[in-house]
Amino acid sequence: IVIYHPQFTVSLLVAWIYPSGALYFHIGETEKKCFIEEIPDETMVIGKYRTQLWDKQTTSFLPSTPGLGMHVEIKDPDTKIILSRQYGSDGRFTFTSHTPGEHQICLHSNSTKMALFAGGKLRVHLDIQVGEHTNNYPEIAAKDKLTELQLRVRQLLDQVEQIQKEQNYQRFREERFRMTSESTNQRVLWWSIAQTFILIITGIWQMRHLKSFFEAKKLV
Amino acid sequence: MEPARIFPCVLSVFMSLILDRFAVLAAFSQAADSDFTFTLPPGRKECFYQTMKEDASLEIEYQVLDGAGLDVDFFISSPSGHLLFNDYRKSDGVHTVEALEMGDYMFCFDNTFSTISEKLIFFELILDNMDMAEDPDDWKEYIHGTDMLDMKLEDIMDTINNVKSRLGKSVQIQTVLRAFEARDRNLQESNFDRVNLWSVVNLFVMVIVSAVQVYLVRSLFEDKRKNRT
Repeated sequence: IVIYHPQFTVSLLVAWIYPSGALYFHIGETEKKCFIEEIPDETMVIGKYRTQLWDKQTTSFLPSTPGLGMHVEIKDPDTKIILSRQYGSDGRFTFTSHTPGEHQICLHSNSTKMALFAGGKLRVHLDIQVGEHTNNYPEIAAKDKLTELQLRVRQLLDQVEQIQKEQNYQRFREERFRMTSESTNQRVLWWSIAQTFILIITGIWQMRHLKSFFEAKKLV
Repeated sequence: MEPARIFPCVLSVFMSLILDRFAVLAAFSQAADSDFTFTLPPGRKECFYQTMKEDASLEIEYQVLDGAGLDVDFFISSPSGHLLFNDYRKSDGVHTVEALEMGDYMFCFDNTFSTISEKLIFFELILDNMDMAEDPDDWKEYIHGTDMLDMKLEDIMDTINNVKSRLGKSVQIQTVLRAFEARDRNLQESNFDRVNLWSVVNLFVMVIVSAVQVYLVRSLFEDKRKNRT
């Protein structure tokens, strides 16, 4: 194993785990936070998270929380679980979609001891990258021995491919949308006709029934 | 592998582990944009925080995709607690925040005014001027080989950069359009369900009402007959 670029290895390692986004939110002990990603098929999704726990003594968030993990559960559009795993306090999960649609990514902490949270909250930094953003270009450049120009062009190709995939999926969604609209429209039309028909029939039946009733009772 | 080669290798890795950790952490700052879709239960408020550097700008766009009135309360506050923007029961909105102070900006979606309907909310963050310079240069160190034609290469690179940024914009627009389409589709699907439900209810009500009417009229005459005799 030749390590020509030690920085390369380290930055790969760090980028692998640390979320590059700085967006964070607070989560309670038994709380489950879910995010929905609507993606085309054969798309890779990488999620990175980092947790911090509130420390009463220093009244600040500690950089890491040993022993505290997060449980990640990912469901596909048919609500089938495709990933259900425990990760440590900092983790990275990845999955590739095989059906287009709404995938649900749920996170909750695996802590059972109330003392660990001490009634406070857990700060979770989360970053989710989809599609061509998941590509690690330094790695690709090194593996395929690309020149700068070639790498740039590769990036463009990946970007365009992702846009194309999304557009195909959009066409599929729009078709489903149109089918629902047309079905609703048809149902409204047929129901209105049926309703008018039923009302007329009911009216005729009522009149005839009451007329024969009154004749039977010798009132008419 | 000889020990003589292993030791400097390990040492350099160890040194870079210490020194580069901070550099790399700083280098991997926020990607250009990120978007999230989540469900907001009724009577709840969800807050998200974004760390901003000075003179950076943040554009946040949100839409309510599903859920009853398709509206939600939204507000952004600065790290010192000042309320920067406040939207009351809007179904979508765009806000640009200029980071005058460094720190964590908080933005919240509030569904406390609703007691029964859960809202599906999509939001997108677009960040500018957040130390992006270090990120593109990172991979330049790892490429192999050189390109001929230095002068023309500059032009080609400029064009490629131009194309890349335009494609990035296309992706952003696509994301927004996807959110709009999702909202319209959810609306139509709920219309569909409502039409089905109320048609069946209507049918039952009509049949029952006509039966009741007949029964009532008959019962009126029954009593009178009994009274006469």
